[in-house]
Amino acid sequence: MSDPVLVVGAGLAGLSAAAELARAGLPVLVVDQAQAVGGAFHRQPLQGALSLATAAQDRRWSDLMAKVAAQGSRITLALATQFGGVDHKGTALLTGRMNRLFRPRAIVLALGARESVRPRPGWTLPGVETAGSLQIRLKTLGEAPQGRVLLAGSGPLLLAVGAQLTKLGSPPVAILEAGRPFARPLTPIGLPRDYWIEAAAYLSRLMLARVPILTNTRLTAIRAEGGTLVAEASSGRRFIVDHVALHDGIRPNDFGMPACDVLPVVRLGDCREALGARAAMVDGQMGGAALAARLLGRTAPSADPELARQTRAQARLARIYAHDVTAELNNLPEDTVICRCEARTLKDLRTLGPTPTARQLRLDGRFAMGACQGRFCGDWIARLTSAETSKPGIGAPRWPARPIAVADLLSATDETEGETQ
Amino acid sequence: MTGTIFWNGTAIPFRTGESVATALLRAGIISFGAAHTGQARAVFCGIGLCQGCLVRADGRLTEACLLAARDGLHLSPEAAGGQDV
Repeated sequence: MSDPVLVVGAGLAGLSAAAELARAGLPVLVVDQAQAVGGAFHRQPLQGALSLATAAQDRRWSDLMAKVAAQGSRITLALATQFGGVDHKGTALLTGRMNRLFRPRAIVLALGARESVRPRPGWTLPGVETAGSLQIRLKTLGEAPQGRVLLAGSGPLLLAVGAQLTKLGSPPVAILEAGRPFARPLTPIGLPRDYWIEAAAYLSRLMLARVPILTNTRLTAIRAEGGTLVAEASSGRRFIVDHVALHDGIRPNDFGMPACDVLPVVRLGDCREALGARAAMVDGQMGGAALAARLLGRTAPSADPELARQTRAQARLARIYAHDVTAELNNLPEDTVICRCEARTLKDLRTLGPTPTARQLRLDGRFAMGACQGRFCGDWIARLTSAETSKPGIGAPRWPARPIAVADLLSATDETEGETQ
Repeated sequence: MTGTIFWNGTAIPFRTGESVATALLRAGIISFGAAHTGQARAVFCGIGLCQGCLVRADGRLTEACLLAARDGLHLSPEAAGGQDV
């Protein structure tokens, strides 16, 4: 049998791509680090847990799973398996449940999105997490966490998580939204109809439960006090809660992902451009079909206009939620932790001067040198150190993209042994 | 179906298919010990990116949010010792 195409990520984009690749006759191996398929959006509940998916979402997912199932043994699925990287010879490392070194025919990176979370005093405290982290737990367990939850930051995900908490009988104490999404009533008019339906469902559920949605309001600081979290809002209001979920938008989860000269590596879905679930499925289909055509020497299929429609809708959403993030960053207290891994503060960053080089940031400042490699501080350091230039960067991300235990490397079944180069 | 994991020797029940992180959180354990910076180890991103929820599982450092709970698994904070193999 020929080498499989490796698809990393069993969400909408990854499985859509896998179905197209297999339909063209190619063997496909899909891996995902999670215990269940679905990615972030369609993460499947544990057996017996209440599902939070709407009927339309369930239909979309079961249609896709049927397409995957129709390909039979051409698609192999390995869960609880992490992609460790690919070397210059095209050898890919998988760790976890499937632990092997092998040479795939091509690689599809469909790793979804990562969340952007603006630093705030207290954002490293236990009980403070990203809204996406909380949401995955809600979807997996079908139950809300014990205690009071505050949602803060900016973006439509806050409304979605708020509505899901409400559905599970535990509405958030408030949603603090830094933008003013309801202040420009004409801008949302151009959004596709299904965006309206989704927003209306969230808002009506939140309003029915009398959840305060405080716009133009920032969460300025969090502190731990007597077993609870005290959250200060820019309005002067104070919230005493047990959990704080933060979210300031989404970015492609492509950090540190490699290019490889000897085999095709393509990024699809949110991993290519963070455009949300609808776009991810279309992009996965289109990208999977295009890669299959490339590998088999066939003519590439034409682009689906739906992707352009989704791109326009997301640009409009971004305008609706627009607010001055740079001012928020510049107003942070000097002792605010910027780099979570190494506990490096804004003061530590300022010590490096107004325009530090990537080398100074890394070697002198230790920024982006921790275990997350800058995934949660890189964007902010770029904005804090050079307001006028677009993106100075903090140096090239290093491979591997995630820490890999030597034991995993040693125990991997090496299927490349004996091969000549 | 359920099972039991152990946090610092204390039995914690889990549901089949859940991660070590969600099992600990449901048991009210939100701090997973101290990191080398002195900050608490805790769940932040939930998807294996931030490395904030590292714990020792049978002695080995791993992300609690990605690790599947399995019956009899012994977990402890990072500083509890063990080998980074």
